[in-house]
Amino acid sequence: MDSWIHPALFFFVGALLLPLLRGKAKKGFILLIPVAAIVSVAFAQYGMYGAYHFLGAEGVFGRVDKLSMVFAWVFVIMAFLGALYALHREEDGHHMAGFFYVGSALGALFAGDYLTLFIFWEIMAFSSVFLIWYGRKKESIAAGFRYLLFHIFGGLLFFAGMMLYYHKTGSLAFNSILPPNASWPEYLILAGFALNAAVLPLHAWLPDAYPEASVEGAVFLCAFTTKTAVYVLARGFTGFEILAIMGTAMTVFGVCYAVIENDIRRVLAYHIISQVGYMVAGVGIGTAMAVNGAAAHAFAHILYKALLFMGAGSVLYVTGTAKLSRLGGLYKYMPLTMIFYVVGAVSISGFPLFSGFVSKSMIVSAAHHEGRIWLMSFLNLAGIGTFLSVGLKVTYFAFFGKEAAEPLHAKEPPLNMLWAMGLTALLCFIIGVFPQTLYVLLPFPVEYRPYNLGHLSETMQILCFTGLVFYLMVKKLSPEAKMNLDVDYFYRKGTLLFMKFDEKVIAPVDTLWGELYRTLGLRALFKNAELSYLFDRKAIDGVVDGAAYSVMDFGSVVKKMQTGRIQTYIGLSLFLFFAILWLVL
Amino acid sequence: MNVLKIIEYLRAKAGPLRIAFFVFLGALVLLDILLPREDAHYVVDKIWAFWTFFALAGCFLLIKICKGIAHLFLSKDEDYYG
Repeated sequence: MDSWIHPALFFFVGALLLPLLRGKAKKGFILLIPVAAIVSVAFAQYGMYGAYHFLGAEGVFGRVDKLSMVFAWVFVIMAFLGALYALHREEDGHHMAGFFYVGSALGALFAGDYLTLFIFWEIMAFSSVFLIWYGRKKESIAAGFRYLLFHIFGGLLFFAGMMLYYHKTGSLAFNSILPPNASWPEYLILAGFALNAAVLPLHAWLPDAYPEASVEGAVFLCAFTTKTAVYVLARGFTGFEILAIMGTAMTVFGVCYAVIENDIRRVLAYHIISQVGYMVAGVGIGTAMAVNGAAAHAFAHILYKALLFMGAGSVLYVTGTAKLSRLGGLYKYMPLTMIFYVVGAVSISGFPLFSGFVSKSMIVSAAHHEGRIWLMSFLNLAGIGTFLSVGLKVTYFAFFGKEAAEPLHAKEPPLNMLWAMGLTALLCFIIGVFPQTLYVLLPFPVEYRPYNLGHLSETMQILCFTGLVFYLMVKKLSPEAKMNLDVDYFYRKGTLLFMKFDEKVIAPVDTLWGELYRTLGLRALFKNAELSYLFDRKAIDGVVDGAAYSVMDFGSVVKKMQTGRIQTYIGLSLFLFFAILWLVL
Repeated sequence: MNVLKIIEYLRAKAGPLRIAFFVFLGALVLLDILLPREDAHYVVDKIWAFWTFFALAGCFLLIKICKGIAHLFLSKDEDYYG
């Protein structure tokens, strides 16, 4: 096949056509778009498509190879599941924002050069922010603007790096960069990518914004932005040591906050940082096994994290809150949601037979193989925190534990949401049981076998003894109706401080200046105007009027001389002649 | 609903399940001790039931340190930013 329809096209065109449809046709159309994209990905052949020239640079819209395809597969599958989960929403805008977001993420995946990547990168930020605003709360609006500002900043870092890179190399081709060749341009690009991957300390936008998004929007958000960033890091920056260290730090940092947070969606949002940390660490370690692990983990993670956000979203949808301190005993009212959530939780924790077991362990084993025992230990520590926070804490305090103080009126969510959760849970299970279905998609040949005795023993010890400690210390983990500070403190408090400074210093100075101007400036102006008026009246008008009057008077004298008699004119002329002669001589 | 009945049934059997869980934990440690270790390169592979100790200590410290730091200065009222 020589030509190929870029899957992003289905989403962009579909989003624009969506408002034209009504009723069942619209619902069908919403599901049809991702299906068309899945077909397009299924029939894609490796190669370069859609090359173009722009201002002397060469661009490529469609670079289809193993690395872009593994992400493309999970993106289009996730688009379908997300669309199904959001099917009940009536607002066209929500679906359109979701489709533009998925389309731009796919555009970024297949981009063969920095310019194309940058364009889709920006569309991604500007379309996803609507999913936050559709949360329709005061907090959503503010969080959305902070999200947008942060991503514009990231985009600018990327753009500056791209320009310097073009200046340095004369090319915008987006290929793997070797660590020794990297200097300012490459590191600026890396910083832009790292911001989207929520690498510390550029991470605060994520737990700030995602928990304020709409129930359905959060499911889209958790899948695409960070994983597109993981893809571009895997494409360009494998083997960068800083990524191995920062990724590992992210895994532990994320779970620490997940352990103490109260809002389920905030627990999950912090936990994205932890999970993306595994992928970033995999990219940083940079061996074939580690990069395979990063790609496999991105694939598995998108599915189970979406499943967890679907479960948390369902709780929020029916009860109106996702705060653990106000939840409890929900298993009686929403048992299916609970089971689907638990499937997500055991998948993310890496239980055998579920997807996390076959993906996360690739990265941990890659660290082990390379002799990076410290990295491996911290990655396993994060594994403990994962099961503790997302697996045990949330499940226990939301679905079991004490009955909520206020009645929750909980019930199972709408059917489309249940179906979406059920299908996602099924995929997590299938990947866990048949890891080859995922491994065949990976960029490098896989020799790794997750189901071996050593690995099983290691995983089960970590998980089960974490369970034991939870059982013994469950009271310590009781949710508290609090929020926790993060580095966004500095810019949120910073802006408040600036507002105070504005209020206390800039505004009074401005008022004083206004007053000064009113009393002194205006008076001077009026005086000046008065003088100008007088000058105009007396001087200018006097001269002009005087000249006019003189001309008039002269005219009236001359008029009198116009007698019409020739002898008078001759006499007058002779008189003038002699007068001039007398003056001259 | 059937799912609900199964959960209720399991909750009613919490005592025996707890015992089964403890037995399972013991079996895990035993299994790890019996595992062959000829290709062990690093300290984490050589020590018996290393990951058991790691999980116990790691999980305990994670809860203590995180909750401690939260109570010390991270934790604020929900309307802190107004």
